Amino acid sequence: MAAAFTSSPNRMELMKVRKRLALAEKGHDLLKDKMDALVMELFNTLKTIQKSRATAIEQLRKGYEAVSACMAVMGTFETMQAAEETKKEIQIEISERNIMGIEVPTVEIEETERNALTRGYSLHTTSSHLDTAAREMERAVKLLVELAELEVTALTLARELERTKRRVNALEYILIPRLQGAMNFIMMRLDEMERENFTRLKRIKAILEERE
Amino acid sequence: MEQVIKFELGRLNAHLPVKRISLKSALSASRPAVQGKNGNLHYFKREELKLLSKLLPESEWDKLQLPILIALESKLGRGAARISGEIEAKVIGKILQREATDNEIIVYRPELALIRRKLPTTTQYMFVW
Repeated sequence: MAAAFTSSPNRMELMKVRKRLALAEKGHDLLKDKMDALVMELFNTLKTIQKSRATAIEQLRKGYEAVSACMAVMGTFETMQAAEETKKEIQIEISERNIMGIEVPTVEIEETERNALTRGYSLHTTSSHLDTAAREMERAVKLLVELAELEVTALTLARELERTKRRVNALEYILIPRLQGAMNFIMMRLDEMERENFTRLKRIKAILEERE
Repeated sequence: MEQVIKFELGRLNAHLPVKRISLKSALSASRPAVQGKNGNLHYFKREELKLLSKLLPESEWDKLQLPILIALESKLGRGAARISGEIEAKVIGKILQREATDNEIIVYRPELALIRRKLPTTTQYMFVW
């Protein structure tokens, strides 16, 4: 394992390995901080999604109930025709924001709820049930757009979290232990060489003393 | 692997703004945003700007620099962060309902989650090492 990191065990190599280990440990600490923050962001987003989804589903239920009531009173064909006549545009501002370098969308939606006059269908030929159905559905659209923003954010955060976790694990379980192993190997080898040297010198001294 | 670490470390703070803007100028802009070091634009949500403007008197709007930077420092320990700056600490203190000391405030994980939930676009993380 150590051989992969050391060409020859000398002091220069030891310094290099120490430097690489310090970098790896610094990277590990920072990436772990990033991972913690990402986990927190993800859980925050998931919590908001839960609430937002429940509200959107409830609003959609109200909307479909109102549409059903409208169809029952006005008739299916007339309701569909009125829906065709309705103006189908909403103003959405999509921009980006950064969460630790991760780009996530920010959606700002203007008020989707319109009054009966601005919707575009005829007021003479339609029932007030249609107004109620349209109002409930317009409210639902706003909630769905907000939910979409949150879901994309959660997905992006989850992907980045997975990537960061892989990096942290690679550092924690592969690179750092390998570098520590390499450092220990070099230190052990240097100690060994020092002992060899010491013994050699002692031996030379003994030989010289014998000659004298 | 080392190249990956260097790349990751370089990328950690690449989202930070080149220049921060005051709350006053953000409120008057049609699409309030700051440019990051990586060239990307980071937009602020108007509802957050409105929330901040309610928390501060109008005379302090030009002193609050956005985004508010949340510094994650290894020496503070896991989950703790520092928010520096007199007005920044004051506004965060108001959200957390506690006092800031020495122009800075140290926040812990549950508080951090609350801040990020209330101010997702007007706050940004900064990694300090």
